[in-house]
Amino acid sequence: MQGQAIQADFKQDSLHDAQMDYYGTRLATCSSDRSVKIFDVRNGGQILIADLRGHEGPVWQVAWAHPMYGNILASCSYDRKVIIWKEENGTWEKTHEHTGHDSSVNSVCWAPHDYGLILACGSSDGAISLLTYTGEGQWEVKKINNAHTIGCNAVSWAPAVVPGSLIDQPSGQKPNYIKKFASGGCDNLIKLWKEEEDGQWKEEQKLEAHSDWVRDVAWAPSIGLPTSTIASCSQDGRVFIWTCDDTSGNTWSPKLLHKFNDVVWHVSWSITANILAVSGGDNKVTLWKESVDGQWVCISDVNKGQGSVSASVTEGQQNEQ
Amino acid sequence: MEEMHQVAIAAKDPAIGRQFSSQVSILSAMELIWNLCEILFIEVAPAGALLLHLLDWVRLHVCEVDSLLADVLGSENPSKHDSFWKLVTILVLQGRLDEARQMLSKEADASPSSAGMCRILGDLMRTMPVLSPGNTQTLTELELKWQHWHEECERHLQDSTFAASPHLESLCKIMLGDEAALLEQKELLNNWYHFLVTRLLYSHPTVKPIDLHLYAQSSLDLFLGGESSPEPLDNILLAAFEFDIHQVIKECSIALSNWWFVAHLTDLLDHCKLLQSHNLYFGSNMREFLLLEYASGLFAHHSLWQLGVDYFDYCPELGRVSLELHIERIPLSTEQKALKVLRICEQRQMTEQVRSICKILAMNAVRNNRLGSALSWSIRAKDAAFATLVSDRFLKDYCERGSFSDLDLIDNLGPAMMLSDRLTFLGKYREFHRFYGEKRLTDAASLLLSLMTSQIAPRSFWVILLIDALPLLEEKEVVFSAEQTYELMRCLEDFASRRPVWREPGVQRIQEDVENTKLEMLRLALARNLGRAIIKEGSLEGS
Repeated sequence: MQGQAIQADFKQDSLHDAQMDYYGTRLATCSSDRSVKIFDVRNGGQILIADLRGHEGPVWQVAWAHPMYGNILASCSYDRKVIIWKEENGTWEKTHEHTGHDSSVNSVCWAPHDYGLILACGSSDGAISLLTYTGEGQWEVKKINNAHTIGCNAVSWAPAVVPGSLIDQPSGQKPNYIKKFASGGCDNLIKLWKEEEDGQWKEEQKLEAHSDWVRDVAWAPSIGLPTSTIASCSQDGRVFIWTCDDTSGNTWSPKLLHKFNDVVWHVSWSITANILAVSGGDNKVTLWKESVDGQWVCISDVNKGQGSVSASVTEGQQNEQ
Repeated sequence: MEEMHQVAIAAKDPAIGRQFSSQVSILSAMELIWNLCEILFIEVAPAGALLLHLLDWVRLHVCEVDSLLADVLGSENPSKHDSFWKLVTILVLQGRLDEARQMLSKEADASPSSAGMCRILGDLMRTMPVLSPGNTQTLTELELKWQHWHEECERHLQDSTFAASPHLESLCKIMLGDEAALLEQKELLNNWYHFLVTRLLYSHPTVKPIDLHLYAQSSLDLFLGGESSPEPLDNILLAAFEFDIHQVIKECSIALSNWWFVAHLTDLLDHCKLLQSHNLYFGSNMREFLLLEYASGLFAHHSLWQLGVDYFDYCPELGRVSLELHIERIPLSTEQKALKVLRICEQRQMTEQVRSICKILAMNAVRNNRLGSALSWSIRAKDAAFATLVSDRFLKDYCERGSFSDLDLIDNLGPAMMLSDRLTFLGKYREFHRFYGEKRLTDAASLLLSLMTSQIAPRSFWVILLIDALPLLEEKEVVFSAEQTYELMRCLEDFASRRPVWREPGVQRIQEDVENTKLEMLRLALARNLGRAIIKEGSLEGS
């Protein structure tokens, strides 16, 4: 597999997250220097398009929204804020700021576009807030308090599954999706949340296998099979792959991908969910694939850079193998 | 491949030249493997024919012979040419005995002393038994004949017939399949598989396919002589000689940098029903797995993604889903590209993807103020909410500028108008303008009235509709009937009573005044019209 190194001057600060946009043409990065930078990475080049300032502390994660809503980027930071940036007439501006948390916001994740424009934010105050865009620059907030004791480190949405119906919904009418997402926290647990009919969020499942803080969770994209898959990684150096075979979504079984020597910061799936990228404190990014007999095999590793690699790599498009 | 070879030689920059050369060598290696797979797996050549195919295979991939042949023959004195013996040896190594004989006859003509020996050797060459296609002799018969011939050659060697000419003697040894003699010609043979085939030709011409791998392994070992270790290509060929298809695929996957070769080879073998498919969790079987990998790789390219689409179509289990996931991620840099992508989705009834892509394009258009484009995309996406948004923008523009952009589009909406109320209003309002322009005043009037009474007009637009009624009211002939005039009056009062009260002074006051004046004019016009209408209707019966 081939990779492309992006050189950017972050001085002494660490780069916390790097995310490709939907089409793989742009890369958003965020770091301890409180900035969010956007690069154009087409054709192997890298041109800095924007340097967004607005946070007052290290920025932990960035997330691109689906392009049908325009060019929208969310970022979350130690300063307890979540900022949503939008590109208007070629320039990036802050379009909304969410300050509803009492401590560092660690993770942001956009819901599947079928649900609308919804952002989930996980924070060190243990709460998860869901921001829904209702139009005219207004965002509605729903908060799940005490989702995880001590703090929530990661949130990841399940792919949108049309519930059973094979008939085409008449236009304008939204089908009744069952919204679900997973969260990982400092209580070593992964929790699965489901939205009830009354709009309230309820904890549906608790997945227990890690012995230390869960650092990242990633719900794999759906490839049409009835199974659901979630990857989780933790401070204890382990990465687990959770699969649920039945359609009712009740029994999840973990399989250990690998035990690394150091904390694992991020896990991320490719578009068709056949490759998992794992990055950790041992300065490596490794790529994993499931083999014929169900075992996960490391297919490549990238050993670059000094210092702990805590950037997550999402494959907007698979590079030529 | 020829072209690339030419380019490689002609390249001025040595780095590029090297790059091209390496590409050429990779392609020729792939061709080598492919042809061998064809011979062994697909044609499944039996003993006897097997060797002939292998000979062809070797001849195909060693091309210097022909140029050398032309060179030597073209010279004045072929037999005195530097490379003469080299050429003859190569011809013998490749089993091209007829041509070798011709060369020898030239030598015989040139130097009478060796003429006798040349003739004998030539005869030996002529009489070597070969299995020719269409020949009715069985394998056993061939073996027997070959055995006799072999013994005859042996005898000549024992009798030192060729002792006088070391060249001829070594040729005879080669024809006897003497390994030492063959290994002496390492340089001419160039690689172990050539060595293998030549060795088989002159020692075991009726080799059976199942015994092939034994000879292959020993040939490799002898040829390399412990000096170097086998390269990936060698391993692949060995696996092929062992008829281990899975190993071939595995070694190729490891050695080559992309899935192109392996995907196609596996596909071919699968179609020949040669692959016992494992049931993989991902990709259902190996062929599909590799095709999916290859197609996914294609999608990263700005134009080859279209090929990827076709490949996904041929993956029955997971192709469609993979295509759905990938096709949305293609960057839509131009409208043509977007249209291409949409056409592909529509052909395959991927309605979700069509909707999603159209929404993205519509959003883009609105941001760039191309309202007509945005409207057509939202219609294609059957997105009512967005259509309403765009229609509102149109109406707002009209309020501000007094004219519509993209008239063509709005005029030709047709049944798509029904997508959203706002859109219907937009279409009908435009129709009203057209009627007025064509002087179809009564039609215009009734349409205007229906627009107001049907509640599909947005509040903000009512004042404009009412004002639009003015010119119709001022016409010489009575356009609105009494009934219609009453309706209009009711609408006017409705509107006036529900107008928001301006709380701030200043600009709004002036606006309010202007509006009040307009409404007064309207009331006057309506009253006048009512009068005229009543008179008209009263005087002429039933009009």
